[in-house]
Amino acid sequence: MRKRTCILVLLAMTMMLSLTGCGSADGKTHLTFQIWDVAQRDGMQAMCDAYTANVNPNVVIDVQVTSWSEYWTKLEAAAESNTMPDIFWMHTDQILYYSDFGKLADVSHLYDDEDPDFYKKHYSDISISNAQGSDGKMYGVPKDKDNVCLVYNKDIFDKANVAYPDETWTWDDLVSASEKIYDKTGKYGYMAYNDEQLGYHNFVYQAGGCILTEDKTRAGFDQKATQEAVKFYVELQQNDWCPTQKYFAETSPGTAFFSEIGAMFLEGSWNLMSEMKNYPNMVGKWDVAVLPAYPNPKSGNGRATISNGLTYATAAEGKNVDIALDILKYFGSEEAQKIQGKSGAAIPAYEGLEDTWISAFDQFDYKLHLTNVIDQFDYCTQYVNNAARPKWKSNVQDVMTNIYNGKVDIDTGMAEIQKIIDTTTADNLSD
Amino acid sequence: MKKKEKTAVKKMSAAAKREQRWGYIMIAPTIIGLLILNIWPFIQTLYTSFCEHLGFGNYKFIGLENYITMFQREDFWKATWNTIYFCILTVPIGLFISLLIAMLLNAKIKGKGFFRTIFFLPMVCAPAAITMVWRWIFNSDYGILNQILGTSINWITDPTFVMIVCGIVAIWSNIGYDAVLMLAGLQNISKTYYEAAEVDGASKLSQFLHITLPMISPTLFVVMIMRLMSAIKVYDLIYMMVEETNPALTSVQSLMYLFYRESFVAGSRGSGAAIVIWTVFLIGIITVIQFIGQKKWVNYDV
Repeated sequence: MRKRTCILVLLAMTMMLSLTGCGSADGKTHLTFQIWDVAQRDGMQAMCDAYTANVNPNVVIDVQVTSWSEYWTKLEAAAESNTMPDIFWMHTDQILYYSDFGKLADVSHLYDDEDPDFYKKHYSDISISNAQGSDGKMYGVPKDKDNVCLVYNKDIFDKANVAYPDETWTWDDLVSASEKIYDKTGKYGYMAYNDEQLGYHNFVYQAGGCILTEDKTRAGFDQKATQEAVKFYVELQQNDWCPTQKYFAETSPGTAFFSEIGAMFLEGSWNLMSEMKNYPNMVGKWDVAVLPAYPNPKSGNGRATISNGLTYATAAEGKNVDIALDILKYFGSEEAQKIQGKSGAAIPAYEGLEDTWISAFDQFDYKLHLTNVIDQFDYCTQYVNNAARPKWKSNVQDVMTNIYNGKVDIDTGMAEIQKIIDTTTADNLSD
Repeated sequence: MKKKEKTAVKKMSAAAKREQRWGYIMIAPTIIGLLILNIWPFIQTLYTSFCEHLGFGNYKFIGLENYITMFQREDFWKATWNTIYFCILTVPIGLFISLLIAMLLNAKIKGKGFFRTIFFLPMVCAPAAITMVWRWIFNSDYGILNQILGTSINWITDPTFVMIVCGIVAIWSNIGYDAVLMLAGLQNISKTYYEAAEVDGASKLSQFLHITLPMISPTLFVVMIMRLMSAIKVYDLIYMMVEETNPALTSVQSLMYLFYRESFVAGSRGSGAAIVIWTVFLIGIITVIQFIGQKKWVNYDV
């Protein structure tokens, strides 16, 4: 039958086309390394090149960047068809989902030949728990650590004759400074926008509340401290000195800050380098401070900041899993973490290398007070995370949006959030 | 007659048979493409809508549960209404303006080619770039629209305006394409009708109502069906105009936007698939109504 031969020829052609994708001309093994932050591409490539130069000359690693919004759709599809990149970044939001389904290679014993306690010795507890699956095994090698800091415009503070924020600041100082700034200069004070990690989560933990309880099975929105903090944060927008959520939908707080419309906002440490680079005219006009503390803590000092960290991971059933594991081992070593720090990409997770990140800022004329960022690691809280988080995250955001636009009053909203997190988490545990 | 035909088929010559075989081979790429890219995914989507997605392509059959929870959801009905509202807002006005422009472009004016290009230009531009520019125009603080009007309306973040804004952008992006289709329809109308009407003393308006409109109705019908279907499936435009943190999102969230958030942000593909099936159902109903309605107003005897 001619029809059948025709189809056979077509099939053979498609198979050949898909096969020619592999193999390389130079006889070396080429691996892919998928990341989502274009600002860190050079730093990552430098580490990969160092691996080729110092460890295994027969392996070449290509760094590929996909935007954050596409990254997870792509990675999940790749995981289903078992075509994941050889090495990739893992985020705390997703690591439990991937590791619980057995998609990630176990790296708990990667350094056993050197030192069985390698992770404990060189990485903080938060870094380690950001890399653990629900079973307590390590499914990623800690890459970096970050926290949230207060960024302020010195010029505006000077004009309003207000002292710069420092470690003595509490929420009350944040409010009174914002008021003064708005009265004297007409600029916005602290820009409190609808965000979790760069917004109300920090305030909740400062007040002694929590988003998830210690065992991560329930939400903490029924606790007084949590409710007080969320209320305080949301109601900041009722002040004249804070733009409303409508404003933030069109202009991000970062944009408003760097066009000198607002005086303060919460920023992640991972953005500082690119902001120094992207706004050269602003260098010297702004600086970083620690987050203001909760004014009347029942215990402790009312300080907290959300700290997150990424990890390097590889697929459990990848084609080049042995080489990939060797590369991960290198990425977690002091040498590779130093390269990362020096590139300014992020603060190395490896303890004691914070200075390398600070030294990356030597290229600028003005020295940010980056020790403030490092000091905050003493009292930081782990990024909010449980296995059901990908499922409840967007639903909780919807409720927060409704609170902000007035469709739901804040108490009902928080009760709703409590219910969403509790039921989703319980469903997830029973599956 | 019928018997004769049958025997004719049976006694098909070898050449005719070969021709028939080649016919099948020629349409094979389209048919295979349709089966692989449309029919099979549709069947899978239908199946997925009865399942719960456990993660990484593992599904658990749960019967009608997705549909039951979907019909109880307030934001689902809101999204359905938003989608229908978007259709009502964009389709009639869009068609009217396109027809008007097509007629103007068909008239004897200077620089016709230039104007045709101008009106078609939005089709050539990348939608992402277009929405970017429109967002600047509608920006409440720096937008040119508020500057001209001397107002400070939150066009994109106020629930009452946001849908109208999206409608304006949608109409603006589509009129060029629709006008070109209608222009082709207009040019098919023989001049002799108008000459005859003029001799009989018909006014321009009655020429339009009694010649142009009936003659162009088949084109109008096709354009309308296409426009309605794409309006029901609207997603990219709204996604780019209205971000997920926008407080007015619920007032403009279309079914496809809800589907995207359900399937790809929240990861529950089962309920996402149920939304898609519901949308297909909606398109089906509207198309059936149109095909019944067309008998009343579409004129095919030219």
